Amino acid sequence: MMDNALYRRVQEAAAALRERLGGFQPQVALILGSGLGGFAAELSDTIEIPYDQVPHFPVSTVEGHAGKWVAGTVEGCPVLCMQGRFHYYEGYSMQEVTFPVRVMGQLDIGTLIVTNAAGGIRRTFQAGDLMLIEDHINWMFNNPLRGPNVDQWGPRFPDMSQAYDRDLLACAEKVAAENGIAVQRGVYIAVPGPSYETPAEIRAFAKLGADAVGMSTVPEVIVAKHQGMKVLGISCISNMASGILPQPLSHEDVIRTSRQVQNRLTSLVRGVLKELRR
Amino acid sequence: MADYAAKIAEAADYIAFRAQVKPTVGLVLGSGLGDLADKIDVDAVIPYRDIPHFPVSTVAGHRGELVIGRLQRCPVVAMRGRLHYYEGWSMADVVVPVYVMRRLGVRVLILTNAAGGLNPDFSPGQLMLIRDHLNLTGANPLIGPNDADLGPRFPDMSQAYDRGLSEGLAQVARRLSIPLQEGVYAGIDGPNYFSKAELRALLFMGADALGMSTVAETIAANHCGLKVAAVSCITDMANPDLFEPPTHELVLEMAERVKPMFMELLTAFVGELGEE
Repeated sequence: MMDNALYRRVQEAAAALRERLGGFQPQVALILGSGLGGFAAELSDTIEIPYDQVPHFPVSTVEGHAGKWVAGTVEGCPVLCMQGRFHYYEGYSMQEVTFPVRVMGQLDIGTLIVTNAAGGIRRTFQAGDLMLIEDHINWMFNNPLRGPNVDQWGPRFPDMSQAYDRDLLACAEKVAAENGIAVQRGVYIAVPGPSYETPAEIRAFAKLGADAVGMSTVPEVIVAKHQGMKVLGISCISNMASGILPQPLSHEDVIRTSRQVQNRLTSLVRGVLKELRR
Repeated sequence: MADYAAKIAEAADYIAFRAQVKPTVGLVLGSGLGDLADKIDVDAVIPYRDIPHFPVSTVAGHRGELVIGRLQRCPVVAMRGRLHYYEGWSMADVVVPVYVMRRLGVRVLILTNAAGGLNPDFSPGQLMLIRDHLNLTGANPLIGPNDADLGPRFPDMSQAYDRGLSEGLAQVARRLSIPLQEGVYAGIDGPNYFSKAELRALLFMGADALGMSTVAETIAANHCGLKVAAVSCITDMANPDLFEPPTHELVLEMAERVKPMFMELLTAFVGELGEE
């Protein structure tokens, strides 16, 4: 499997990134979701690397997604942020969507904090809530691990019984409690998009046990787990899902609410990074 | 993506060149319903194969032509024969006609199909007004770069089937004493019929009927700002506990029996739209 083309591309991208990072070794990687890119401003001693300067990188197309790596230090913890991510609905293959996570693994980063904007399904949620992801449902009808397995990365059949690390969840809940940040816990269901869901679909997802719905995260988490990374997932409930409230959904509302939540998300992630730093 | 819009424009330009009538209502005629096109006061009949970039249907019981003219004085374009995902078309191909109709000036899209009934209150031969759908095809016609000239990146689907149009259709049915069920249509990819376990799962998820079309067209229509009304002909019962496997012949036979009532309903409804 050493000839695997994807494996080679990941190696080359990681090598280029490592060169740009100099001696900087990130401990935690963060994926900043829709409207949540502002977290990158928390970093000090930053190095910015636009995606288009890394070999084999796709370029993000969605409004609200900038498209660059930002490396730096937060609360003494060296981190590497993805400001902007690749979505399946943009037409990328699952391998492209998860390419950056492969690169993170190649850079020996052991922990991934993944954030997203999601629609609230559980009726007790409201726009602006933060939800710690305790599990997910892959409703994308696709999987980034289809194809030959690269054994250097991980097993053919990765376990998903604890996709979201229990210790990280407990850590995030402790930080939230200490800082007076209200957090929910729930199951995230990922759909292909890009059209928003119908009310009938949201009712079905509720019956299946989903608490929030979005168009990202799950492929990234599958790949992170495949290569043995520990994952913390945080959804910003940017709106209530279709049919829960009377008004139609708009991407503008999603971006606006995400920005409002940003301060609380920032405090939460800062606190978690403080706990994680070695 | 600019290519896609250019293809849509070329197809629409060709159709507009062949037809005098400028349609405002689009009709997609599902399995066995093609004869509704015979009620149209025809201006032009254009085989799909003549239209640039138009995909051509292969399934039995589906002819492939656009019929343009007036139905009850309302200027319409009817698709006699539709494209299905299971035939191997991409979702983007399946919805080409929707964008072409929009480009021709259509504002209201009426979708029809043959569907299996899941709701135990239904029986074969009934009509069901589609109130909402479940997209279980695993695909979406909008995956890929978005062309903002066609519609928004993230279209709202909270009222995918227009409430006003649906109410109008229900009223026409009442006036004509045509029984009309209502429910949620589950769109699957097919082409195999569903297993009993799959049917039970669909029932659990809130589906009232299932079929292999319509969902992609509805998503595209909402993307480009078309109002949608849709009716299923329940051709067989997909009740997992009293299950007789459907055959395509059976589906067509039942569609044939329901046809007069279905045509009466749609004709009267289009007539009302024409008066607006």
